[in-house]
Amino acid sequence: MKKGGYTMKAETLRTLLQHAVFVGVVLGLWEWGARTGAIDPSFMGSPLGIIGFTVENLGNARLWGDLGYTLLAVFSSFFIGSAAAVATGLAFVTWPRLEAFCEPYIAAMNVLPRIALVPLFILWFGLGVGSKIALGVSLTFFIVLSTTVAGIRGVSQDHVTLTRTLGASSRQMFFWVTLPGAVPVLFSGLRLGLIYALLGVVGAEVIASERGLGQQLAYLGSTFNVNGVWSLLFDLALIGVLIMKLMNWIERRLLHWQ
Amino acid sequence: MIEARQIDLSFDGVHLVLQGVDLHVRTGEFVALAGPSGCGKTTLLNLCAGLVPLPVGQQLQVAGQPPALGSHSVAYMLARDSLFPWLSALDNAAFGLKVRGMAVQEARERAAAMLKRVGLGGFEHKLPKALSHGMRQRVALARTFAMPSPLLLMDEPFGALDAQTKLQLQDLLLQLCQEGERTVLFVTHDLSEAVALADRVVVMSSRPGRIVADVAVPLPRPRSIRALQTSEDFHHTYTQVWKHLEEGWVHHEG
Repeated sequence: MKKGGYTMKAETLRTLLQHAVFVGVVLGLWEWGARTGAIDPSFMGSPLGIIGFTVENLGNARLWGDLGYTLLAVFSSFFIGSAAAVATGLAFVTWPRLEAFCEPYIAAMNVLPRIALVPLFILWFGLGVGSKIALGVSLTFFIVLSTTVAGIRGVSQDHVTLTRTLGASSRQMFFWVTLPGAVPVLFSGLRLGLIYALLGVVGAEVIASERGLGQQLAYLGSTFNVNGVWSLLFDLALIGVLIMKLMNWIERRLLHWQ
Repeated sequence: MIEARQIDLSFDGVHLVLQGVDLHVRTGEFVALAGPSGCGKTTLLNLCAGLVPLPVGQQLQVAGQPPALGSHSVAYMLARDSLFPWLSALDNAAFGLKVRGMAVQEARERAAAMLKRVGLGGFEHKLPKALSHGMRQRVALARTFAMPSPLLLMDEPFGALDAQTKLQLQDLLLQLCQEGERTVLFVTHDLSEAVALADRVVVMSSRPGRIVADVAVPLPRPRSIRALQTSEDFHHTYTQVWKHLEEGWVHHEG
């Protein structure tokens, strides 16, 4: 075990070192290019410029306000979209005729590029957080809906048969068998749904917004502050990674039995 | 305990799955239902459990009542262990009792005692993923026997196990049945299992499933699977059941 643990640690260190060398070489070449004029820093920025902007921006209250605004919209759209999707999924499984009736409308809405709805959402909900949540919900809803239906339909028939022979009530069947049985598939949908919510909210903020990281990104881009754009892109990537880590943490606790 | 008279069953209204099935199982009897794959053994068992609706006009009584899903007189055991992976061995064993309304504490105490009885004392808090196939099937046995139902319907419960584990669990089932007054209808396609466990072996023919023989097993109880291997009566009954099974095939092919 000790040997295995040691090998694992050495392997992890080697991988980290490889990544550090790779990133260091790329950033070094980039900085060298920007300084020598091989790369135009007004279009590509420079690593030191990005780091400088990031450090300065970290002390800027506007960044934290925009971050809070964006996260509020992301989590609101995730919870609203997921709750609506799970409820609709349950209704579809309970009444298959309802699903058959809604199927063409769901399919048509699902293939529609949702970003194209932003003008309508702005008309309906204004430039504030409402239109951002609406776009986030429209993206989250469909992905969580499909996994809810798949999750419930995928519940082990042996479990259902056994529970039926015991004379379980509908409530027992749902809470003791269907729901826990569907959670693994449902969770994969929720994980994607949260990422889609981030994508939708930031996308809507870039198009038109009063606040938010997406709006800041659009502003920096329009003022040719390329280092600022890169800095915010890294911030968004970091937020995405942290969201995935959060979901992994919840999954490990919720699905420890897998 | 089970009274079936001239049961005919068809799912599509054209092809018969069961034809003129008469089955009588007395209280305390262990009856094995044997026959080729697809002959309707499980369908007959599912009729008794209420999983397959009984066609109008057909006469079937289970514990003095028409078959009904959820009857407390019946405990059903499937071919696979069907343990819930998110529940511990203890909660899996207590599942049937809890569904049927027993207080949680009482159900867990009863389940813990049954887990100990099937040789899984100390494994109460293990999840199914941490158990071997044989251990999982022991938990399923504990779940079935924890319920005080007088009639057990078992659908090839050891069919998916390796030979050695199967023999161990057959022995365990014999002991569990000997300890309480249970009536068992046991579906299997394994003739030696049928003869070793049952008081009678009912042989069915290929589809449409008909009962072609009802063979009494003249082996005394208590039994031990190992001792049966050298029993002449065991081998004689096995040959007899095999002959009837062959006749069922010949009749079907003819």
